[in-house]
Amino acid sequence: MAETAQAKPMGAHGGGEGTRRDFLVLTASALGAVGTAAVAWPLIASMNPAADTLAAGAPIDVDISKVAPGMSIRVLWRSRPIFIVRRTPDELKQLESGKDNAELSDPDSKALQQADYAKNWHRSIKPEILVLVGICTHLGCIPSFAPQPGNTPVENWEGGFFCPCHGSKYDLSGRVFRGVPAPLNLPVPPYNFVSDTVIRIGENPKGSDFDLSSVEQL
Amino acid sequence: MRKIFLAAGLAGLVSLGAAGPAPAAEESIALPTQAWSFDGVFGTFDRAAAQRGFQVYHDICAKCHSLDLIAYRNLEELGFSAEQVKAIAAGDQVVDRDDRGMPVTDDSGKIVMRPGRPSDRFAQPDKAVTSALPAVPPDLSLVARAREDGENYVFALLAKGYDTPPADWDPSAIYNKYFPGHRIGMPPPLTDNAVTYADGTAATLDQEVRDVVNFLEWTADPNLEERHRTGLKVVLFLIAMTLVLYAAKRRVWSDVHKDEH
Amino acid sequence: MAAPRTQNRIIRWIDYRLPVFSYLEHELHEYPTPRNLSYWWNFGSLAGFMLVTMIVTGIFLAMYYTPNVDMAFDSVERIRRDVNYGWLIQFIHMNGASFFFIVTYIHVFRGLYYGSYKNPRELLWILGVIILLLMMATAFMGYVLPWGQMSFWGATVITNLFSAIPKVGNAIVTWLWGGYAVGNPTLNRFYSLHYLLPFVIVAVVMLHVIALHQHGSNNPLGIDRKGPQDSIPFHPYYTIKDMFGLGVFLIAYAGFIFFLPNFLGDPQNYIPANPLVTPPEIVPEWYFLPFYAILRSVPDIWFIPSKLAGVICLFGSIGVLFILPWLDTSPVRSARFRPIYKWFFLVLVVDVVALGVCGAHRPEGTYIVIGRIATLYYFFHFLILLPLLGKMERPRPLPASIGAAVLKGGAVSAE
Repeated sequence: MAETAQAKPMGAHGGGEGTRRDFLVLTASALGAVGTAAVAWPLIASMNPAADTLAAGAPIDVDISKVAPGMSIRVLWRSRPIFIVRRTPDELKQLESGKDNAELSDPDSKALQQADYAKNWHRSIKPEILVLVGICTHLGCIPSFAPQPGNTPVENWEGGFFCPCHGSKYDLSGRVFRGVPAPLNLPVPPYNFVSDTVIRIGENPKGSDFDLSSVEQL
Repeated sequence: MRKIFLAAGLAGLVSLGAAGPAPAAEESIALPTQAWSFDGVFGTFDRAAAQRGFQVYHDICAKCHSLDLIAYRNLEELGFSAEQVKAIAAGDQVVDRDDRGMPVTDDSGKIVMRPGRPSDRFAQPDKAVTSALPAVPPDLSLVARAREDGENYVFALLAKGYDTPPADWDPSAIYNKYFPGHRIGMPPPLTDNAVTYADGTAATLDQEVRDVVNFLEWTADPNLEERHRTGLKVVLFLIAMTLVLYAAKRRVWSDVHKDEH
Repeated sequence: MAAPRTQNRIIRWIDYRLPVFSYLEHELHEYPTPRNLSYWWNFGSLAGFMLVTMIVTGIFLAMYYTPNVDMAFDSVERIRRDVNYGWLIQFIHMNGASFFFIVTYIHVFRGLYYGSYKNPRELLWILGVIILLLMMATAFMGYVLPWGQMSFWGATVITNLFSAIPKVGNAIVTWLWGGYAVGNPTLNRFYSLHYLLPFVIVAVVMLHVIALHQHGSNNPLGIDRKGPQDSIPFHPYYTIKDMFGLGVFLIAYAGFIFFLPNFLGDPQNYIPANPLVTPPEIVPEWYFLPFYAILRSVPDIWFIPSKLAGVICLFGSIGVLFILPWLDTSPVRSARFRPIYKWFFLVLVVDVVALGVCGAHRPEGTYIVIGRIATLYYFFHFLILLPLLGKMERPRPLPASIGAAVLKGGAVSAE
């Protein structure tokens, strides 16, 4: 177009002047890129959980002294329901015998749904106290606690957890039965006994660094 | 000519700045100014003073004044250890709330209190105390920012304000020289040795006020130090980048300017 | 439009279907820009930069802000204290409003001085005034969102202005509020509109740039480009100059963000809004002060009560800007060649600053007098002075062309 004076395209000069200009523009561009990244970083970082959200997700201490054998309580930790169950000696005997293991999908807790300290038949640190994340591994409903054997919620119920949404069944260690929609055992969150009557949910015992986000499926 | 325009504009802006975007008070009460560690471009918090100031707030001011924006866990920024913070939190009673943030009530409908945790916001002052007061004590979290020259204002009000009132002052009202209108609802809250400092510093009135101002400056602007640190890096970077850009601009324009007079 | 000068197959493939590259080529490489633009021409691009900055920071703030009267103030404090870098994003946004207005006002005054509003750029100018109005609405509503004392009471005072309109005034105010006073419905709708308007501004800015490119930029001499020796391509000359200008601007901007974040604001906005306690002074942000002064300085005029007269003059002060291209009768654009207008321009600048100072103070004593004189002068300048001066003033002789004025050896081509 005849309108503009012919501008010398950048870098078209020979030697000194052109390369000096190129160098300057290059440096300026590099600094500009650094600056842009430095600006973008805080914006992206701001979307990470804020300090108070992280603080609210800190471990919580739960007093289990009032939980009688055969009872369960429910607390919220990191917005998830956590079941704490005090199992009766009879229930423990039943679980230890392994009578129903053939009906379970994963009786030995081979799938990574718990820390190493919960990879046993009682899926817990102390046998009487069971701590589970109460979210069905099928599609996320909250199973009901149904410890009594009988004909509710289904025929020939042996005691455990029953998910009302699609009928998934778990035993009293949270292990999933075969032939139900749920694929995996209920996860066990990190927890630790601060004393005989207080459990801290969200903190592992010394020597373990189990992270709940490492499980196969919550 | 454009230079005169610039000068006029700048002069106007300066006078505007002197007047302050916040307008002058009814009468200009000249505030005595103090030197603070957090003043200026390179200001930092005096953490020892802020810790003592927290003690002053906690032991005295907290009886009537809330500090709603601060959580116990924030105290770690002042140098308290996690254990100390837990102990401080547990020493206060806070409203027990469920996960939706609603207060938990017992069977008779009374609100349940429990010991504080680090993640809790500071406990509220006892309602029995505050409801008996003639005026609502303001929350103190932002007081250092909510007043013009806040830190000097708070210092002057607490340490120097409870002066002898003028001759015609109504004796039933409390006089404070620096409170707007002079009629303050709060009797002098601090005296010498109102607290015993954990680090052994002599707790004169002046010292207590200095320390509580340091604390309140932190509650109002906890990011001050990070802001100054980052700001220094940013401005230095920008100066460097602008110099490079200027050199580049001159280079690029050299072939245009060489044809001009 | 020329095809892109590249052999790159991908670029050619895209450009054949969506001509972004040849468009950019045209707008940057080929687009002729006067060679003599001064730094006063940087402020348009700075304004564009600020628009983008405000939108980006605003979007990230919106991820944490809650537009409810009980939670708004605390949500802003939460952003400052708990959100990662929230304090930074918030201070950028807060000071950004001020800096957006600083660059825009300078941009406007540049236009006034150099006659950039004159034929054939009348619509360009009007689009700019529309952008200014949208900016003012956006800024006003944005200031309400933190729900501090000034937020609430500023909203109350300004929305109450509309009650001055006879007959329908009160109905309009109730409609604006969504209730019997400024409250939650007001806050929510201000949030919705505050989020929307910046994108409307983006659209009008695009029209503004299209209008600009129709005839190209004005220049300090105010004379049209006549040939290739008068202009240079926008890229690389003005791209690098704009970037350098941006660097200088950013130093000032960063200075405020990091070291004086509250200097331009009002401390009282750090007090949560209390509908039962009116602050001793209700003052808008600095960029509204001249208009606030005009609003308050108008007395009862004949049968028009002062409140309504003030509102009329307030909107009139922007209204005169709309018709400015037709008010100014000067045959010459740039004040460089208008020896008398130059001085009156300076008076206008001082006048606007004086109005701003008056707006910051209570309307008592000297401030009333100065405010009234300054308001009178403002309208006199646009409605009486400009039409008359253009006809009476003898402009200095214009150079033959930009090249003649600027090049060694006059209009001889640089090549």
